[in-house]
Amino acid sequence: MDSQLFLDTLLQRSPPHILEHARLVLVPLGLAVLLAFPIGVFLTRPQYRRYAGRVMAVLNAGQTVPPLAVIAVFLPFLGLGFRPAVIALTIYALLPIARNTIAGISSVSEDVKEAARGMGMTPWEVFTQVELLLGLPVIMVGIKTSAVLTVGTAVLAALVGGRGMGAVIFAGINFFRPELILAGTLIIGLMAIILERLLTLAEWFILPRHLR
Amino acid sequence: MIELQEVSKTFPGAGAPAVKRVSLQVKSGEICALVGPSGCGKTTILRMINRLVEPSSGSVFIEGRDIMKANPDHLRRGIGYVIQQIGLLPHRTVEENVALVPRLLKWPEGRIKERIEELLEKVGLDTEEVRKKYPYQLSGGQMQRIGVARALAVDPPVMLMDEPFGAVDPIVRLRLQDEFLKLQQSFKKTICFVTHDMDEAMKMGDKIAIMNGGFLVQHGTPREILAQPANSFVQDLVGEDRGVKLLDLVRVETLMLPRETGTANGRSVQALDSAKKALEVMLEHNVDGVTVCREKQVVGILTWETIKTYVHQAGSEAGG
Ligand SMILES: Nc1ncnc2c1ncn2[C@@H]1O[C@H](COP(=O)(O)OP(=O)(O)OP(=O)(O)O)[C@@H](O)[C@H]1O
Ligand SMILES: [Mg+2]
Repeated sequence: MDSQLFLDTLLQRSPPHILEHARLVLVPLGLAVLLAFPIGVFLTRPQYRRYAGRVMAVLNAGQTVPPLAVIAVFLPFLGLGFRPAVIALTIYALLPIARNTIAGISSVSEDVKEAARGMGMTPWEVFTQVELLLGLPVIMVGIKTSAVLTVGTAVLAALVGGRGMGAVIFAGINFFRPELILAGTLIIGLMAIILERLLTLAEWFILPRHLR
Repeated sequence: MIELQEVSKTFPGAGAPAVKRVSLQVKSGEICALVGPSGCGKTTILRMINRLVEPSSGSVFIEGRDIMKANPDHLRRGIGYVIQQIGLLPHRTVEENVALVPRLLKWPEGRIKERIEELLEKVGLDTEEVRKKYPYQLSGGQMQRIGVARALAVDPPVMLMDEPFGAVDPIVRLRLQDEFLKLQQSFKKTICFVTHDMDEAMKMGDKIAIMNGGFLVQHGTPREILAQPANSFVQDLVGEDRGVKLLDLVRVETLMLPRETGTANGRSVQALDSAKKALEVMLEHNVDGVTVCREKQVVGILTWETIKTYVHQAGSEAGG
């Protein structure tokens, strides 16, 4: 084990890749939230609720396919680089968010919703002021799960030329340099922790006081 | 006034209707107690009055206006609603819960603050103690009081109360009933009050509407229901002791033989006590009559014979 190489990797070789990796996580995560959250909300509306089972089955199936296979499927259409990696990672991040959005909103008790409606709140007011706020903790768990998942999975982007921290780790694998693997993994672990903490902080600001 | 005309409701997918051709009038300032076994359609009727459920057929009028012509959200803001499971918003404090409808109606904050204090006091809570608390920090009795305060917030003329005192022990329930009746004396609201407890219905209702299996079986004053149960179902609901219950509805002063003079020797009751109380005193002390007093002043006597005759007459009105 060459500690100088380890430190060099950590401090000099990795930083540009950290930024690439952050992009590979934040872009798919953002897209996944934009897609999966509305899907989840729609599937809790009375008129669409009956489709929830089928949509979730599709998303569940998507989750069981290994991420590498998802990337491989898109290779012929999208070629190599950042874009196919983002698409594969987005698909991968959808399920936990959609599932927890549905679970969170459905967990709000019927009595509370009935009371809110009975007091004369409009459907929109019931949704934003009651269902969403009370479901938020569970929804946020889904987003955090996807975030941590994506930080790890995004390593594979390097295999299709999407760069990121995967570039460091796979270099270590190809050239038998455990220092690179170790340093890369360490950074990814830290990134996952930091992202999770940041999201928890954001949640704290949005949540009503007693749910914190 | 609340008026239901031939209202029916069949829920989608349900075989039988939950409510069948119910016609009912609740006069202004009166409490109509809706009573019947679980699943007989009481909640459904309430929810058709504020359009949480749309009737399959028939119409509902409030103060003469067809509710189907109103905007449902605006309609509900004008009707006080106490739901069966209380349904306080768990993420809002007591004062925010009470302020719900005033905020929807965009009352100025100063007025809301005053109103919250006034209401919490009216329902017997210590404003400073509870206003900042969340529902999970309250006792069952406190929650029900706040449910009632929230429904009263904008002083709606019409109120729907679905077992508002159902989730507390019998002693607290009696107290909440008494307090609410006292408020109602000055409020004079038009109220539909659901309960499955006949005693509560007798106590709270100016009129009682008895439901069974979606039908309205009988509608009348407590005395009419006790004296002339429409069928065996009502008779069972009223119970074996309807004679005694009749006595509970009448005051001693109504039945007594006036007598200006004399002293309160022997056993005595107050003129405003129920005749049932007088009966209990007679039974307990094995006497045939009691002296009736107003404060310390003797005003009459009530005898065992008088009570017997009264119960007999009231009971036989059914035959005649
Ligand atoms: N939203 C609904 N969808 C389908 N069926 C319903 C719905 N609400 C009530 N019902 C049915 O209608 C019938 C009457 O219900 P309702 O809630 O009015 O009874 P209730 O008299 O209030 O009973 P309880 O005393 O138990 O509260 C029941 O058979 C119930 O299953
Ligand atoms: Mg009910």
